[in-house]
Amino acid sequence: MKVKVWGARGSIPAPGPESTRYGGNTSCVQLTLPDDSTLVLDAGTGIRNLGIALHPTNQPLHILLTHLHLDHIQGLMFFAPVFRSDSEVVIWGPASPESSLRDRIGRYISAPLTPIDVRELPCDVSFQEADSPEWQIGPARIQAASVAHRGPTLGYRVEVEGSSVCYIPDHEPGLGASLADLEEDWISGFDLARDATLLIHDSQYTDDEYPEHVGWGHSSLSDALVMGRRAGAERLLLFHHDPLHSDDFLDALSGEATARWQDLGGRPDQVELATERREFELRNGAVVTNNRPESPQPRLGAQ
Amino acid sequence: MEPSLQRPIELILARNLLSSLSTPAFLANGSGEIIFFNEAAGSILGQRFEETGTLSAEEWTRTFGPFTEDGQPIPLDEQPVTMALRANRPGHAVYGIRSHGGAEHTIETSGLPIVGTDGFQGAMVFFWPVDRAPE
Repeated sequence: MKVKVWGARGSIPAPGPESTRYGGNTSCVQLTLPDDSTLVLDAGTGIRNLGIALHPTNQPLHILLTHLHLDHIQGLMFFAPVFRSDSEVVIWGPASPESSLRDRIGRYISAPLTPIDVRELPCDVSFQEADSPEWQIGPARIQAASVAHRGPTLGYRVEVEGSSVCYIPDHEPGLGASLADLEEDWISGFDLARDATLLIHDSQYTDDEYPEHVGWGHSSLSDALVMGRRAGAERLLLFHHDPLHSDDFLDALSGEATARWQDLGGRPDQVELATERREFELRNGAVVTNNRPESPQPRLGAQ
Repeated sequence: MEPSLQRPIELILARNLLSSLSTPAFLANGSGEIIFFNEAAGSILGQRFEETGTLSAEEWTRTFGPFTEDGQPIPLDEQPVTMALRANRPGHAVYGIRSHGGAEHTIETSGLPIVGTDGFQGAMVFFWPVDRAPE
C-alpha cells in the first residue's frame, strides 16, 4: 500500500511563502492499494491536486470523509474525477441523526456556496454512511469509529496485506483526561490506532497553545506523541498543522517532537511532521520506502 | 486486529465530563454496569472508583443502595430512575443510600440516558445529598 499526503494543513488553507515546505492545502491523503485502486482520506483542498494527478480509471474512487468540517470537504467541488461522466465516486462519511450524508454534503455543494448541485455532478456519485464498524473495499479492510471531536467524526483504519494506516486527523483524546493515565479502553480512537504501521494523527497545537484551545477538537503535540507511543504505532505522522504555523515554526516543532518522542522511548525515525507530497510505501507491517517530495514547491498551474 | 475493547465514544466523553465535575455522578453502560464514578461521588460513597472498579448493578445496589426507609435494598427493576432510563427517558428520585463506612445519606438523584448514533449506550446519573449543605 502506498500513502501520499496531498494536504496536511488544518482549519483553513494556508498558502503563501511561509508554507511552501509543509504545504498550505487542507487534509487529504491518497492510499494506493495493491490492485492499483485508490482510496482517498478526506477531501480538503489537497484533493484538487490529487485529482489533477490521477489517471482516469474504470475503478470506483472511494473517498472516506472523517467529518464534514469545511477543511475536510472543500476540495470536493474541485476534484477533477467528479466532473468526468465516466467516473464512479463513492463518498463515505459519518452518520448523523440530523440528516443523510448526501443532504449534509449537499449544503456545501449547492447555491449559494457553489454554482451547481450534487445531482448535477457529471460523475456517478453515491453516498455511504459508515454505520458499520468494518467493511471491505477491494483488498482493503476498513474500520471506522467515532472519535473525540466536535460533531459526528470518524477515525479510519485501513488494513492491507499486513500493513495498516490509521487516520485520525481531527482528534482531542486528551479532552478532560490525562492520556498518559487513562486505561486503553477509555482512550478515544485507541482501537483504530493500536499497532498501526502508520498513524496519521492530529497535532494542531503546541503544548503552550493548547490551554487556549481546550475543547476545540484538536490535540496538543504531547497528546499526539503519547497517543502514538501508547498505541504502539510503528510510524507517527503529525498532521493537521495549524494555519498560523509557518515552515520555520514547524521545523522547530519537528525537532521538539523528535526529541520528546525519544524521551518516550521511541526511535527518532519513527516520528515526523506531515509534508505535502510526502510518500510512504507500507509492506508487511513496515514502512519500506520513504519518498520525500523532490520539490516542496507546488507545481506551476497545479495550485 | 484484536477484538474491539473500545468504549463507545459517547461513554468516553461522558466519563471525561464527569471526572471534571464536582457534582457527584456515576456512569452506567448499556448493560447497567457502573463503569465509572467521580471523586465527588466517591467522597459520599466512602470509596474511590480506583478501589471498586466496575460494579454490576446488583453489586452497586447491594453495597450502596438505594434502600427503602426500613433499610431494604430496592430491587433494580423497581428503581424509578433505572426504569426510566431503560425506557430512554430521564428519571428523578429521592433515595436513601449507605456509604462504604456505613453512613446513611438521603440523596436526590437524576439520570439522563446517553443515546448515540448506535442507540442507547448508557446513562449519566447525578446525585445530591439532601442532608448536606450545598458546597
